Amino acid sequence: MTNFVDYLLGGFSNGAVIALMALAIVLVWRSTRMVNFAQVGQAMFTTYVALTIQQSTGSWILALVVAMAAGLVLGIVVFFLVIRPVKNSDSTGAIIATFGVLIALQAGAGMIWGGDPQGFLTPVDNSGIEFAGRIWPISLYDVLVLVVTAALVIGLTLLFTKTNLGLSMRAAAFNPEVARLSGVRVNRMLITGWAIAGATGAVGGVLIAPVSTISPNSFDILLVFAFTAAVIGGLDSLIGAVTFGIGTGLVISLVSGYSDSGNAPIVALILLALNLLLKPDGVFGHHGARSV
Amino acid sequence: MKTLRSFPGNRIIWHAIIVGVVWLLLLLLNNNIDPLYSSYLALVAMYATAMFGMTILVGLSGQVSLGNGALMAVGGYVFALTSMNWQTVPFFGWEWNAIWSMVFAGLGGVLIGGIIGGLAARLKGPYLAGLTLGVAVGVPAITNRFPELLGGENGLMLTVPYPAGGYAALDAGGEVATDEGGDAAVDIETDAGATGEDQQYAELDLSEFDQGTDPLAEEDLLTEDDLLTEDDLLTEDDLLTEDDLLTEDDLLTEDDFGAGGDLGIDENVVDPTEDPGVDGAGLDGTDIAGGGFIDGFDSEFIIERWQASMAIAVACIVAFAALNLVRGRQGRVWKAVRDDPVAAAVVGISPSGSKVSAFVVSSLFAALAGAVFAQILSFIGPGAFGLGLSLSLLVGIVLGGRASLLGAIIGALLLVWLPELVDGLSGERGWPEQITNNAPNLLYGLLVVAVVLLAPGGITGTFKSWIDKAKGRGRATLS
Repeated sequence: MTNFVDYLLGGFSNGAVIALMALAIVLVWRSTRMVNFAQVGQAMFTTYVALTIQQSTGSWILALVVAMAAGLVLGIVVFFLVIRPVKNSDSTGAIIATFGVLIALQAGAGMIWGGDPQGFLTPVDNSGIEFAGRIWPISLYDVLVLVVTAALVIGLTLLFTKTNLGLSMRAAAFNPEVARLSGVRVNRMLITGWAIAGATGAVGGVLIAPVSTISPNSFDILLVFAFTAAVIGGLDSLIGAVTFGIGTGLVISLVSGYSDSGNAPIVALILLALNLLLKPDGVFGHHGARSV
Repeated sequence: MKTLRSFPGNRIIWHAIIVGVVWLLLLLLNNNIDPLYSSYLALVAMYATAMFGMTILVGLSGQVSLGNGALMAVGGYVFALTSMNWQTVPFFGWEWNAIWSMVFAGLGGVLIGGIIGGLAARLKGPYLAGLTLGVAVGVPAITNRFPELLGGENGLMLTVPYPAGGYAALDAGGEVATDEGGDAAVDIETDAGATGEDQQYAELDLSEFDQGTDPLAEEDLLTEDDLLTEDDLLTEDDLLTEDDLLTEDDLLTEDDFGAGGDLGIDENVVDPTEDPGVDGAGLDGTDIAGGGFIDGFDSEFIIERWQASMAIAVACIVAFAALNLVRGRQGRVWKAVRDDPVAAAVVGISPSGSKVSAFVVSSLFAALAGAVFAQILSFIGPGAFGLGLSLSLLVGIVLGGRASLLGAIIGALLLVWLPELVDGLSGERGWPEQITNNAPNLLYGLLVVAVVLLAPGGITGTFKSWIDKAKGRGRATLS
């Protein structure tokens, strides 16, 4: 039982990062009805930027802020250069184009920063907290990850429910034609969606980097987990992405604890396949979300 | 005349003639070029085989799948596992036992492809891509799950079955290979030492990335694992010691060195040749000059030429099948479902059945290509068959032309040629390794985006639209 609790607790911070990546995928889906398979590649790239900042200034906060800004910019650039020209004309092409972006980003990162995995320093202690006479599988850093994630999720929720911008974005996502007629600048909303998604993914990348290492391909597996979480959550539900992101983190932690961490992708794959077969619209999704 | 033309048997005969002529030309080419180029030819044929399946799946059926690298792994592993036990069973009297294993590899691909395809038929666009992405990323995990059977991260070495008659191995650069193998072995051990799951993935994926698209890198990995398995093969190598024939082989290879002067200089030569198991197999055949299987070269059986001729044979058979499918009724069914599933269903076509059949056919082709790849590498492991390989196939098919079999061939050429071009340029300009290793993938990524945006038909599609335009103009001026 102690093991079970430990494994469960150990999965939370990983789950938070998966939730952030899933959120990014959902944000893009909500704005343009497509999956950005380069999302995690963008996060990888901005994490390298953050690494460079951290190495030169030593400031983790600054690195995080710069990564978010870079994510914002990268999201906008990818949207403008790649997605906007193709998204309406060629849905197969749009999927392929995001993979093209992923390949280019990974190769570009390899060119600039090399292929060797690099470590990312944590701003606070990353060893288990000692409390009530035992060491818990949660570190101060895990707490920081959870706090940052929670802050971001709350911020996004407020944005979507309490601000005009959020309302316009929801309108543009829900029905672009009607939104346009009501004076919403739909295109601007789509860009905003991509930009926010880029920044969210960037935060996820910076948060996961110290726990794993960073290399051009190290986030591939995260893409699978995030996609799984986003799809099970319904692809257009922010709550769903967060819930099942953390859920996926917990499941992975349990699988890794009881068997072997190498089995995690297989379990994620089984979850994804089962979900797509049994409840293709996801748990929190609206019916019809699946039809492109 | 018109009825004759529409008679399907007639079309099949034409396809057979076209493929047969191309096959003959390729064999002639293979027998008259430097063995180094034969090894490239083998890779092109292997990629083309897999990409004919991508043409059908992505181009005609409109399903973006990243699972075909994984299905190649299925073919490769089935080939490796069965070739060990079916080594001595002739294929209906023919001594080239690899055919049995190829058949099993194809069946394995059909089986696994049918399962994934059954799932996939219920999914659209991004869902399918995401699920198959998971399959591609999961390959290393699955091989690690069964370390005894599949060899875990290190994969399996295989003793490639050669046809009776043997060959004279071109044993170039063996020393270099073992040196690299030494370094790589150290790397692998440090990997194993690293704990976190992500760390292991990082390492795996890294190697995978290099290998997926860059044939040279793939073969470097081969050499890594050569070292590991050489140890295993040492016991078998007792066979080798009895054979003084080896010295004769050496003489032959020196001749080859003399002929292809650049062979010694070019590092690339390292790759496809070295394989201790292969020597054993060759010596079993005893008569070295008996390369009667393919005539046209100096009575030697050079391993690259053998690999290329085998890869070409598979590619041509697959091309024949693909031509008949694509240009026949089934091709129209696939396109109909891709363009409008509802309309297709109205005229009595089952959309899901069409999608599954496209998946199964492409899986069969992928598995055969995987079996060929395993024979070219004499190795099969998760690193060479992961996400990188799947992405390469997608890149190749998009660049060549999504819905065209000729596009698949052009894509295969690009996949093999572009890294070589970059390598050559980098040698001239003295680029650092970091740039050289990543330049092909950067180019692929940018080219894919550019093609999707500017010329969605790829190279063949663009040419076709030019020709159509020119024809249209001609007609307009006439009328």
